[in-house]
Amino acid sequence: MNPLVNELKAKIVALFKLEDVSPDQIDDNAPLFGAGLELDSIDALELVVMLERDYGIVIKDIEEGRPAFQSVRTLAEFIRARGSS
Amino acid sequence: MDKLVVAAASVVSEADARAARLGTRFGRLDLSSRLALLAVEALGVDFDALPRDRVGICLATRAGSLPTDIDYWNGRDAPGGPSPTLFAYTLPSAAIGEIAIRHRLTGPSLCLVGENTGALAEAVLLIRRGEVEACLCVECNLVTPALARMIQLPPAARACALFLQRSGDGLRALRENDRDVESLCVLLCPPKSAT
Amino acid sequence: MVDSTQASRPAVSIAGCGAITAVGCGLDALRSALRANASGLRPCDRFNSPRFQSNIVGSAPGNGDGADLDDPAWRLAADALRQAREQARDIVAAIPAERIGLVLSSTKANIEALERHAANRPCSDAARRHLRADLLAADLAATHGAKGPVQCVSVACVSGLVAVQQGAKLIERGAADAVLVVGVDHLSAFVVAGFSALKAMDPTGCRPFDRDRRGLSPGEAGAAIVLARADRVPPPAITLRGWGGSNDANHMTGPTRDGSGLAQAIRAALEMAELPPAQIDYVNAHGTGTPYNDAMESAALRAVFGQRCPPTSGSKGMLGHTLGAAGVVETILCAVAMQERWLPGTPRLNVAADGAPASLVLQPRSVARLDHVLKLNTGFGGVNGALILRHG
Repeated sequence: MNPLVNELKAKIVALFKLEDVSPDQIDDNAPLFGAGLELDSIDALELVVMLERDYGIVIKDIEEGRPAFQSVRTLAEFIRARGSS
Repeated sequence: MDKLVVAAASVVSEADARAARLGTRFGRLDLSSRLALLAVEALGVDFDALPRDRVGICLATRAGSLPTDIDYWNGRDAPGGPSPTLFAYTLPSAAIGEIAIRHRLTGPSLCLVGENTGALAEAVLLIRRGEVEACLCVECNLVTPALARMIQLPPAARACALFLQRSGDGLRALRENDRDVESLCVLLCPPKSAT
Repeated sequence: MVDSTQASRPAVSIAGCGAITAVGCGLDALRSALRANASGLRPCDRFNSPRFQSNIVGSAPGNGDGADLDDPAWRLAADALRQAREQARDIVAAIPAERIGLVLSSTKANIEALERHAANRPCSDAARRHLRADLLAADLAATHGAKGPVQCVSVACVSGLVAVQQGAKLIERGAADAVLVVGVDHLSAFVVAGFSALKAMDPTGCRPFDRDRRGLSPGEAGAAIVLARADRVPPPAITLRGWGGSNDANHMTGPTRDGSGLAQAIRAALEMAELPPAQIDYVNAHGTGTPYNDAMESAALRAVFGQRCPPTSGSKGMLGHTLGAAGVVETILCAVAMQERWLPGTPRLNVAADGAPASLVLQPRSVARLDHVLKLNTGFGGVNGALILRHG
């Protein structure tokens, strides 16, 4: 789990160009949306694109992804459950 | 007719935009929005002192959103498809949204595309007609090398901004023969000393 | 406080219109579609690939499957302009070319040229030139006898309304005696793929204000309005009474939930028109069919009109979302409705959503009076626009 979590943190920093945040500053359980990293609804869609591009996971609509996008930990769990990496 | 006041002016370059740190959103923005946003930031206007619904935004973009259009379309065949964020910025007026969000400005706006757009005259008209009390006037000239190869425009990456007010303190009064944003900004902004 | 009031400024009227849309070419086609509450949304084979959420779009005749035009933006705009100038020909003939201006509204201009360039497909010089909206505007002006001021406006999906306002202001300040206002955007993989990436489309086609709405349907149109000083246009004419603009200052693609930004724009328009809300006979909404937009508009109308919302409908089930053309073509639809005294319905709406205006018009109907109409549009970047038209 850990390498995937770290990998996801690095991807999030790179994808959203979070210039003032380093991957190890992101808490595993911190909310991605709203308070915390302040990602928004378009950013959620970018995560959907990233999941397909980097992990081969296709999400048909955003509701399907919602539970996965709560935190880096839930995202990693989702990938492990669904993914083919 | 009372003369309007040029309260502030700014000129920013691509180097300024790349060096700037304006919070979490900033890094993700397309270069055009970053230039425009930074030009407004560099004005140093205290928007708290003004009614937010009475400040207008007048934006002029030399090449519209074409630089971002190219970036977005280049990503079309990536697995997962093109970037939704980039698509949202394939509009010449995208920077208006970013400026409005950052400074919580809820007044009317205008975005013109081309050269010699008359943006300054439009900003003056918005004030004179009473639609706003003050107006941000931003000119963004971004032509990336990829775009320059496609259309006949020289590469460029800079933005200028003015803040016009009905009255008050400022750099100076707006004059009859102040015709365009860029000339006025270059005049009013001392060149930066080399670093 | 202001240097002039609306009452002291010369009034501006509509001298002629033209349109080419998903329901056909010309105002007669629009009129028939209005009466029949028709939808021009159809499956279009160009958008069958999985990169597109849906292939149901509003395609204009002669621009869609098989046409393979390299300059579809030009074709739509020129067709509409020709129609509008024909309708206004007596008025325009009396005005020297130097006193005729042109304002173009478009979000993507001839984006087809970018697609061709990227795919190494042949593309004429003119088509490539029209990738730049300002050159498209300049060429339209040159070809259509407008040697006066030329402006190119691009304010997301509010562009069309802003272009109409800019045209009116050119006439008001004496810079022109007539202005050709043109709105155009053509259907493109660029746009349909983009809305698909945002998952913003309704796979079954848009259903504005419907309880089960899921998103928008892209459309294309060319639309043109010839504006002139009111004293040049014989009554009964459609006059521009007022307008307003605002920004939600909230999110780039999502409106504020309470509709306060749009409400502000509506109030500004009412103030410029010197009208109380009760004088508005009909509202033509933006009504894209996305869950958020239609809910926000309903909230904005509630905020301004309270329990007395005028009859309201949305036309995007008929034409699709035509982006930069929307404000112009939907204003033309309002003008046609006002001349006919027919309230437009809301094509493709089945069951109205909770919270939608109680006065939502599903099927078109004839009315005794349609004097003041409010046209609304909103767009990415939080922009809102409102325009008030008067007939008489």
